[in-house]
Amino acid sequence: MNVSSAAIRACGLVKTHGQGQSRVRAVDEVDLEVPQGQMLAVMGPSGCGKSTLLHLLGGLERPTDGEVWVAGRRIDTMSERALARMRRRSVGFVFQAFHLVEELSATENVELPALLAGRSRRQAGRSRRQARRRAGLLLERVGLAARARHLPSQLSGGQRQRVAVARALVNDPLVVLADEPTGNLDTAATLDVLRIFQELRAAGQTFVIVTHDERVAATADRLVSMRDGMFVDDTRLDGSHTGGLGGLIGLGG
Amino acid sequence: MGSIVLVVRLVLADVRRHKVQAVMLLLAVTVATATLALGLSLRGVSDALYEQTRAATAGPDVVALSGDTGPAVTSALTSLANEPEVIAHHGPYRIVYADLTTRDSTASPVVVHGFAERPGTVNRPLVTSGQWVRSGGTVLERGFATALGVGVGDRVTIAGRSYPVVGIAVTAATSIYPWAAQIGPGGGPSDYSGLAWMTRSDARTLASSHDLPVTSAMDLRLRDPEATQAFLDAHHDSAMTFHSWQFNANQDLVILRDSQPILVVGSWLLSFLAITGVAALAAGRAVEQTRRAGLLKAVGAAPGLIAAVLLTEYLALALVADALGLVIARLTVPAIASPTASRIGDAVGLGGAIVAAATVLAVAVAMLSTLRPTLWSMRTATVTALSATAHQPRHRPWLTALSALLPTPLLLGLRLTARRPGRAVLQACSTATTVIAIVALLTLYAQPERGYGLDGSSALPNLRGEHDRRLMLAVTILLITLAVVNTITFTWTTAMEARANMAVARTLGATPGQVSAGLSTAQLLPSLPGAIIGVPLGIGLLSLFAARNAVEPPAFWLLGAALATVLATAALTALPARLAARRPVAQALSAETA
Repeated sequence: MNVSSAAIRACGLVKTHGQGQSRVRAVDEVDLEVPQGQMLAVMGPSGCGKSTLLHLLGGLERPTDGEVWVAGRRIDTMSERALARMRRRSVGFVFQAFHLVEELSATENVELPALLAGRSRRQAGRSRRQARRRAGLLLERVGLAARARHLPSQLSGGQRQRVAVARALVNDPLVVLADEPTGNLDTAATLDVLRIFQELRAAGQTFVIVTHDERVAATADRLVSMRDGMFVDDTRLDGSHTGGLGGLIGLGG
Repeated sequence: MGSIVLVVRLVLADVRRHKVQAVMLLLAVTVATATLALGLSLRGVSDALYEQTRAATAGPDVVALSGDTGPAVTSALTSLANEPEVIAHHGPYRIVYADLTTRDSTASPVVVHGFAERPGTVNRPLVTSGQWVRSGGTVLERGFATALGVGVGDRVTIAGRSYPVVGIAVTAATSIYPWAAQIGPGGGPSDYSGLAWMTRSDARTLASSHDLPVTSAMDLRLRDPEATQAFLDAHHDSAMTFHSWQFNANQDLVILRDSQPILVVGSWLLSFLAITGVAALAAGRAVEQTRRAGLLKAVGAAPGLIAAVLLTEYLALALVADALGLVIARLTVPAIASPTASRIGDAVGLGGAIVAAATVLAVAVAMLSTLRPTLWSMRTATVTALSATAHQPRHRPWLTALSALLPTPLLLGLRLTARRPGRAVLQACSTATTVIAIVALLTLYAQPERGYGLDGSSALPNLRGEHDRRLMLAVTILLITLAVVNTITFTWTTAMEARANMAVARTLGATPGQVSAGLSTAQLLPSLPGAIIGVPLGIGLLSLFAARNAVEPPAFWLLGAALATVLATAALTALPARLAARRPVAQALSAETA
C-alpha cells in the first residue's frame, strides 16, 4: 500500500515498560497499515498490548523503537506540541471509560475539541455558534439531540459513549481510535454504538478499534489478533488473509 | 488503650506517607504561633527587663528634675530628701547638654550626668564593661555606645574636648536610648540624646568651659515604691518635673509602640495563610480520607475513633508546631523587646495567657482547616465512602459559554477556576494577605524619619523606625514564604484534581503548553483581584495603627507591588503547572479508569 494513502502506518513498532529483569515488551515489532476508510479491529487477551498500540498510534505514548505515521506524517519524532496539533486535526479518541468532562453538558463536551482547536477564532466562517451547531448536529446524528443539555451524570452508559463518539468526530478526524468502546455497556447500548460506527464506516470514516467484544470485531473490515505484544493474525473479514502469522501458528482462519 | 495505640499507629503511618504536608503544617503553625507569642509578650518582657535593670542598678523610684541650677534649685532638690516618704537619695547632680562626636565623625546630642567616683545607694549604674568614671574619662550608656559603635578604650569628643571611654554602663534612672534627656535645657522639650557619665568636677568643668546648658536632678527612693503617684500628687505645684520608675518603664515601650501591632496583626495574617494552605491540602486529601474513614467503619470503628484518627494528625502536628513556635518566641523575644541594649537581664518565661493564646491559635488553625473534610468523611455512608470519588464540580453554563470565547489557556484556566470556587477564594485571600503585608512594609519605608544624630542627621539611624521595618520585613518574608508555599500547593492540588480532565484535553488536542498555561491561569485569575483588593485593605488596616501624620507611599509603589505579586504568582505556578502538564496522558487516563 502506498504510504500516502494509508491513514495510519506503523513500522517495527516497539514499546517496552520497566527496566532490567522486569522489562516487558508491551508492543513487539509491530508493522501495520490502515488504509483510509477501513475499520480495523484489534483483539487479544488482556495485557497483550492492544491499548498501548492504540496510544502509540494516537501519539499519547512514544514508542521505544519504530515509526508511526498518521496522514502521511511521521509522528513518533514530533514534539508534544506538534502531536497535540496532529491529534486536533487527525485523530478522535473514544475510551471505554468515556472520559467526559463531568461538569460540562453533552453539547459542551462535544464542542470542546473544536474550541481547543481554535476553530471559533481562526477558521473563517466558523464562529463559536457554528461549533455549537456542529455539536448539535453530531448529537442528533448519535440520537442524543434531546439530551444535549444533560450532564454526563444524567446520561446512561450508552448515551455517554455516544456523546464521546460525537466528541471524537467534531473536528472531522482522519481516524477514530476507540479503546474498548463497548466495554462498559450493556447489550442494547453496545448495539446503539455499533450502529453508529457502521453508519460512520459507510460514510468513509477510518477506525481502529481495540476490543474484547466479538460483536464489535465482526463489524470491522479487518481483524488483527494480538498476543504478547505481537500480531499473530491479520484477517480481512471478507475471508482473505492479509498476513500469514495466524496461519503459521494455527490461530488464523 | 488499644484504640490509642491504633490511632497513634495510623497517624504515624499517615505522617510518614505525607511528609511534605506535615512539614507544611508544621512550618505554617510554627511561624504563626511564634509571631503571636512574640507580639503578646513584648510588653511583659520589656517590663521585666526594666525591672531587672532597676534591681541591678538600684534604680530610683522617682527622679526629680529641674530646668535651672543654682543654690535655690539645689536647696529645693535637697529638701526633697527630707520628705517623710523618702528613705534614700542620690544627688543633686548636674545634667550637662552637649554634642558628642566619635572618631569616625558620628555626632549626637548627649546629656552628661556628673556623678561621684563612688556611686551612692541609689542610682548605681551597672558597669557592663570597663570601669566606672574617673577624672578625665567618660562612661557611656550601653544603648548609646552600641548605636555609636564605640567601646571601652575608644575616644570621644564632647563639646570639643576629647575623652577616653573608660566604661560602658546601664541605668534604670533614665529612659532607654535615645530618650536619655528626660527634660531639655531650661526644662523644655528634649532632643534625641545619648547618656554619658563623668565625674562631678569634670561635668562642672565641661559646662562652665563652654557655657553649656545645665539642668539639675536628684534620684529618690521612697518608703513605698508603689506609692510614687501619691508622692507626685503631693508635689504637683512644684516647679520641678518628676519621673517615676513606672514612667520610665512605660517610656521603654515607646520604641516598641508599633512592634506589637506588627507582630500581633502579622500573626493573624500568618494564621489566615496557614488556614488557607492547610485547608487546601486537607481538601486535596478529602477523597483519600473519606475512603480511609469508610475502611475504618467497615472494620467496625466507632465515629469517635474515626474522628480521632482523622483529626489527631493535624492536631498533634499543630501542637508540636505550637511548642516550637513558643520556644522560638522565648529565644528571640529579648532581642526584639530590647532593641537598644539599654537594659540588661533575661526575658522571663512566656506567661500562661500567652501560651494559652498561641495554643488556641494552633488548634484553631488545625480545626478550621480540617474540620469540614473530617465531618464529610464521617457522615459519608460506609459503602459510598469506600468508593469515594472527587467532589463533583457544579455545571456553570454561563461561565462555560464565556470561556468558549477565550483563547485556549484562558478557557482551561477559567474552567479550572470554576471547578473549585472555594479554592479560588482562598487563593485570592492568600494573595490579598501578601499584598497587605507588602503595603504595610512599603508604608513603613515611605515614612519620613528623623535620625538620632546631631540635628536629626541619619548618621545615627532612627532605631525605632529601623526596628519596626526589620520586624515588618521579617513578618512580610514569613507571609510571602507561606503564600509561596500556598500558591505551589494550590497549583499542584488543582493539577492533581484535574489531571483526568487535563489528560482528556490533551487527547482532544490541547498542547502541554496550553495545559500548563491553563493551570497557571487558574491561579492567576483569583490572584489578580486578590492583589488589587489587597492594596486598599492594606492601607485600611494600617490606618488603624498608623500615626495621624503618617505618609502614604507613592501610588506607583503600591501598583508596582500588586503587579509584582501577580507576576511572582505566575512565575511560581509555572513549574508545578509545567510538571503536571507533562505527565504522560495515557498514564493519567489509565489511572482514572482504574
